[in-house]
Amino acid sequence: MNSNNDHNLHRGQGHKKDDAHSHLPSDPELRVKAIETLLLSKGLIDSKTLDELIDTYENRIGPQNGAKVIAKAWVDENYKKRLLDDATSAIRELSYQGRQGENMVVVENTADIHNVVVCTLCSCYPWPVLGIPPTWYKSDEYRSRTVREPRKVLSEFGLNIDPKIEIKVWDSTAELRYLVLPIRPDGTENMNEEQLAELVTRNSMIGTGLPENSK
Amino acid sequence: MSRLHDMGGRYGDGPIPVPRNKNNQVENSEPTFKHEWHAKAWAITLAAGALGEWNLDVSRHYRECLPPKDYMNYSYYEKWLAGLTNLLVDKKLISIEELKKFISLVQEDTSTEDLKENVKLDKRTWLAKDVQKTLGWGGPSLRKTDITPLHKIGDNVITLKYNPNENVIGGHTRLPSYAMGCEGKIFSYNGTHVFPDKNAHGIGENPLPLYTVEFKASELWGLAAENGNDKIYLDLWEPYLKIKT
Repeated sequence: MNSNNDHNLHRGQGHKKDDAHSHLPSDPELRVKAIETLLLSKGLIDSKTLDELIDTYENRIGPQNGAKVIAKAWVDENYKKRLLDDATSAIRELSYQGRQGENMVVVENTADIHNVVVCTLCSCYPWPVLGIPPTWYKSDEYRSRTVREPRKVLSEFGLNIDPKIEIKVWDSTAELRYLVLPIRPDGTENMNEEQLAELVTRNSMIGTGLPENSK
Repeated sequence: MSRLHDMGGRYGDGPIPVPRNKNNQVENSEPTFKHEWHAKAWAITLAAGALGEWNLDVSRHYRECLPPKDYMNYSYYEKWLAGLTNLLVDKKLISIEELKKFISLVQEDTSTEDLKENVKLDKRTWLAKDVQKTLGWGGPSLRKTDITPLHKIGDNVITLKYNPNENVIGGHTRLPSYAMGCEGKIFSYNGTHVFPDKNAHGIGENPLPLYTVEFKASELWGLAAENGNDKIYLDLWEPYLKIKT
């Protein structure tokens, strides 16, 4: 056993009595302001970078990206094959790649299988295709219960899965990021890719919902 | 033994906070950030991480190491902020004295505008012009090695029944306690990936074989399983697994 006591190295078993975070004010807005101002004054962060980051995930990266991937898989059998075979490359064909989506895996819902994604240890989520996770995904309730009682959890989203359908829960414990390929709703044969993408909801790509128009 | 973040399977949590619209339908599009301070806490954490003084596994471990009472009481982005604060001080990017000074400044509502003007940026600082490039590249954990994986697809394996971290007592690991000491089957092999149990403690990337392992719900939850044939999949590194004999 490594006997190194350097707190920087491991934080190991406990915490220091005088941990820095214990000095933070109780109002979170003031906490952020204090740290932001300090880092800005030391030149360790640039406010333009913060603006660019926030703008990117508020306006450019989000579930609309994943919806395009799903719609393409629905209309193009070869693309769907590539997507299930090597999701990272297939998703990159649409120029979605990078942070928190470096290793993508797509899991397909069928008449017999329903997939749902969770991260019990933190909040791992495929950013390039879904953006920043919603509050419920990061909640203790979702993180603790989904692996143990997925059917009950899904019912709280209004999704009642037939007992004959097998549920597969994907707990994102490493750097693989999961995206669910939902079943294309019936009666959408005449829709084009763009119209289909409109039906693909965020929750349907996590497994806690179905696309719009689904029965 | 586990820490509070390791909550998979825990009893006692209530209904999922599913947002619903006026018509009581599940709301699929809430704002990316509910409050401006959420966005700021998130962006500052990313920008500080880009200074290169720590990796993603270290920052995860710092959040996990918050005292249990704080971990439970803090909201999501408060955990991020607390973990970040401890990291900034431990990595000597800021001192406790500087932190206290700036807390007083903002609490007294003293103008800090002049402190932020004409600041010379540190050479490590992430610039706005590089944001898209850096995000697009990301931080892949896959590494090319000549390691031959020990297990084949379909092999039966058993997970360790305790925290597998060999270097640090109570150290970081990605084997959740609900799946410790359980029998599963190798579902897929994903190549060799940076090993968080070492990387979180600054002792090297040590890439190792990463498998996706399939567990039957009945194996993890026994009679409490909703449907014994449902499956749970976890991505687990080789040292977490023993061959089932």
